[in-house]
Amino acid sequence: MDNAATNPAGNAIVVDKLTLEYGTQILFRRFSLIVPAGQKVLLVGSSGSGKSSLVRCLLGFVIPQEGTIAIDGTILDGKTVWPLRRKIGYVSQEPQLGAGKVKDLIQLPFTYHANAHLKYDSSGQARLFEQFRLGGALLDKDISELSGGEKQRVALVISLLLGRSIYLLDEATSALDAEAKAAVLDYFRQRPDLTVLMVSHDTAIAAIADRTVTMSPVTAQEAV
Amino acid sequence: MMNAADAIHPLALTAGYLMLLIPLAIIHWYRVPMLGQTISSVLRMTIQLILVGLYLQVVFRLNNPWLNTAWLLVMITVADLSILKGAQFRFGRLAAWLFAALLVGTAIPLFIFVGVILTRPEILDARYVIPIGGMILGNCLRADIIGIRTFYQSIRTGQKAYELALSQGATIAEAVRPYLRESIYQALTPTVATMANVGIVSLPGMMTGVIIGGNDPLTAIGYQIAIMLSIFTGTAITVFLAILLSARSAFSPYGILKQAIFKT
Repeated sequence: MDNAATNPAGNAIVVDKLTLEYGTQILFRRFSLIVPAGQKVLLVGSSGSGKSSLVRCLLGFVIPQEGTIAIDGTILDGKTVWPLRRKIGYVSQEPQLGAGKVKDLIQLPFTYHANAHLKYDSSGQARLFEQFRLGGALLDKDISELSGGEKQRVALVISLLLGRSIYLLDEATSALDAEAKAAVLDYFRQRPDLTVLMVSHDTAIAAIADRTVTMSPVTAQEAV
Repeated sequence: MMNAADAIHPLALTAGYLMLLIPLAIIHWYRVPMLGQTISSVLRMTIQLILVGLYLQVVFRLNNPWLNTAWLLVMITVADLSILKGAQFRFGRLAAWLFAALLVGTAIPLFIFVGVILTRPEILDARYVIPIGGMILGNCLRADIIGIRTFYQSIRTGQKAYELALSQGATIAEAVRPYLRESIYQALTPTVATMANVGIVSLPGMMTGVIIGGNDPLTAIGYQIAIMLSIFTGTAITVFLAILLSARSAFSPYGILKQAIFKT
């Protein structure tokens, strides 16, 4: 674990002494992590070590019992969470994109008030589709017709079109074949401006990570 | 002025109770697990209606606008508690918001019906306000249970989709839009279906009452159309307001649905 300092500028994510418990189950205790801007960090650990929960904490979906989170130097709380979410792109293992045609779901976030300053970039979308090995015909399909891997890549395309600077990828390439996975990883490798925190059991992802952070489940002894 | 319907002698009602032996026999014979519940419901219905009948006699005789309003508020309060129970929610702030939604959703069509359509000078006349208010409220209650339960349960089960919308920059109002759409659809569908089939599949209560009261069917149709439109308007207002108002206390400052609102 990293020793987190306060929230100096230049750090995209600062997790400071975070404790998360669900009833009697302690997922992590006083966990700290610093991710400097532009760094690619791979988060590994056995099931139940709290990797996905940490990602959900960073988005304000789960509130830890102790500790603080800072995104781009701003402490995450009930007020700042709204502007801070606009800095983060989030893709989970099974992205639930809603119901309807793919092209409509890709454009949906651009109708949100918070994204009013963004313009939907159809040529950017076409480029990303090509780069991530997605056929253009997919746009007219219903989302329910897509495979798990296609949904993951569509979710990645949406988050990238939104122009976020920090990406939380929670097993976001787990359903991709080797070629599509390489294409996605290549994309992030070529973007030094993007900060990426990846949760994965896949060692291939370590190749693009600047470093790997291991989360361990809190043992009964530690929990006392 | 309508004619009075023929009164039913209490002893004559015995025939009605004897008729119950048929469904009770079926329930008993096939061991459908609702014998006790059915008997209890029939007893409750009888006692409740006797008490309400006695009370309403007093209310109708006095015909005091304040008393009529108080009775309407009692009806709304009972409906409010029934919604919380039926939708499996905990009491608390939600109860106040749902009460407000029911009050507005019932009052608007009720006063349009009595004051504008029937052009009654005394809008709070017990003879109109209580039965018509009761019909609107009863439908609002049923629609509200469906609407509220669908809304919050679908956000709960579709948590990942909801959270993804938040992560993409949606406000709570934007993220809940698909769930709001679905819950309003679910809540209003029964009333829409009833309107489409009314008069063909069954003669509805209001029309039946007006005909039994001694009026011609065309008069009864006028009442029936007015009540159906009032019910639809009332249910739409109630469900929409109930979701809109209750959402104010059902989500955390982070936009996350509070699990504490659910009983289970």
